[in-house]
Amino acid sequence: MNTSELIKVIDTTRCTACRGCQVACKQWNELPGLRTKNWGSYQNPPDLEWNTWTLIRFQEYVNDKGTFKWMFRKDGCMHCTDAACVKVCPSGALYHTEYGTVGIKKNLCIGCKECIAACPFEVPRYNRATDKVSKCDLCLTRLQSNQQPACVKSCPTGALSIGGKDKMMKAAYDRVKELGGDASVYGDKFVGGTHVVYILSEKPEVYDKLPKSPSIPLSVIAWKDWLKPLSLIAGGGVVVGSLLHYILHGPKRPDEDVSGDKHAEGGK
Amino acid sequence: MPEKGMIKITDGFERIVHWMLAGSCILLFITGLGMMYRELNFIGNLMGGLVALKYVHNFTGLLFIVSLVLATRMWWHEAGKFSMPEDLDWMMCAGGYLWHVEKVPEIGKYNPGQKMFFLTVVGCGALMGVTGLVMWFPVGLSMDLVRWMYPLHALGFVVLFAFFFVHLYLGTIGNPGTFMAMIDGWATKAWARKQHPKWLREMEESGKLEVYGEEKTEAASH
Repeated sequence: MNTSELIKVIDTTRCTACRGCQVACKQWNELPGLRTKNWGSYQNPPDLEWNTWTLIRFQEYVNDKGTFKWMFRKDGCMHCTDAACVKVCPSGALYHTEYGTVGIKKNLCIGCKECIAACPFEVPRYNRATDKVSKCDLCLTRLQSNQQPACVKSCPTGALSIGGKDKMMKAAYDRVKELGGDASVYGDKFVGGTHVVYILSEKPEVYDKLPKSPSIPLSVIAWKDWLKPLSLIAGGGVVVGSLLHYILHGPKRPDEDVSGDKHAEGGK
Repeated sequence: MPEKGMIKITDGFERIVHWMLAGSCILLFITGLGMMYRELNFIGNLMGGLVALKYVHNFTGLLFIVSLVLATRMWWHEAGKFSMPEDLDWMMCAGGYLWHVEKVPEIGKYNPGQKMFFLTVVGCGALMGVTGLVMWFPVGLSMDLVRWMYPLHALGFVVLFAFFFVHLYLGTIGNPGTFMAMIDGWATKAWARKQHPKWLREMEESGKLEVYGEEKTEAASH
């Protein structure tokens, strides 16, 4: 892809839940399929996992007029601009790529799981066997070879598309205008704008597991923006304060001996 | 080396527990900083990589927890409880550490500053242990709960890191004669008279004071 900042648009109104993207993702990224149980839904595997980076969520929804609707939403990494996972990653394994997406350098991951608790979308998943976390990298090596991500490539209905930011955002807003009703664009209004953007036919709060207004958790802000610098400031302050105390007030020495104790100067 | 007339301040078990706690604490600082600051990731190279550093941190944390339990049990009786009113009097003049005080109120084995330090280490140490274990094994707990473990762990670090330097200063050049009490256990009588006069008097009166080069007066084991 030549364009600097890329946006992948997921038009949920065009998705038929064929799950071609799920399979293409597994094939391209060499992710194994693991045996799952039928839990009464076509949604399979049941959730994102270390070996499942994208997943169609099947949702049965009855709106306030009593109309039944079967909704499909392709879940996966949203590739935030202000990515909490990048902010907390201690080793630099998670990083922003040249396309604005969030890449993951597997060899640097130390399996600390800090990104798992930080992500507002609960995307990164831990693999106990490898002691590493994994998630969608939007097929970075394909992007670098001027190819579409595997999921986009496989999509037969045009629900998935990718391209330069301005073009894609304009297309998304045009589509929402065309759809009318409760349709909306989801992704550009928070976390600095995501690089995966939804066209939703219903209000965002209707969708399972989709936060209405995601943000970097306050806990991450308190930890990385406040306490982290404070630790060095406080430690340095004490060191300087101690030295000042030593030269201004002076140490607490034993008093000059008055009772014949010969070690009046302390245990030097 | 102790000289004749010096007095026993700490016993061997106290010193071992102190250095277990101090050693694990310092190693946790270093490895923790290696993960907190990407610029300090190189510390991991000394241990064979950042993954190894993570495990050094985690398992040292277990040693820290054990040391903290031992230290708490050992010092709680003497340093965990304030004795009024002398502790309050001492605090009102900051033990003579901050401005000139003609006569610092007499206190026992540990002054209120040391007691506050001890209680802070116990409290923040416990916080570090609990939050650290949850961070190590976050499975099965609610995400909202797990999320707050990280800033709480960082908060504990802010306090303990600052207190570490306070302790380092006051245990060495800030109070000459103190440091060797944690190395070989001996200090001078003049030191004790200045730092812990009430304790010295009580020990002398009860005959429990152990003086280097002198026979113990009675059952003087600590």
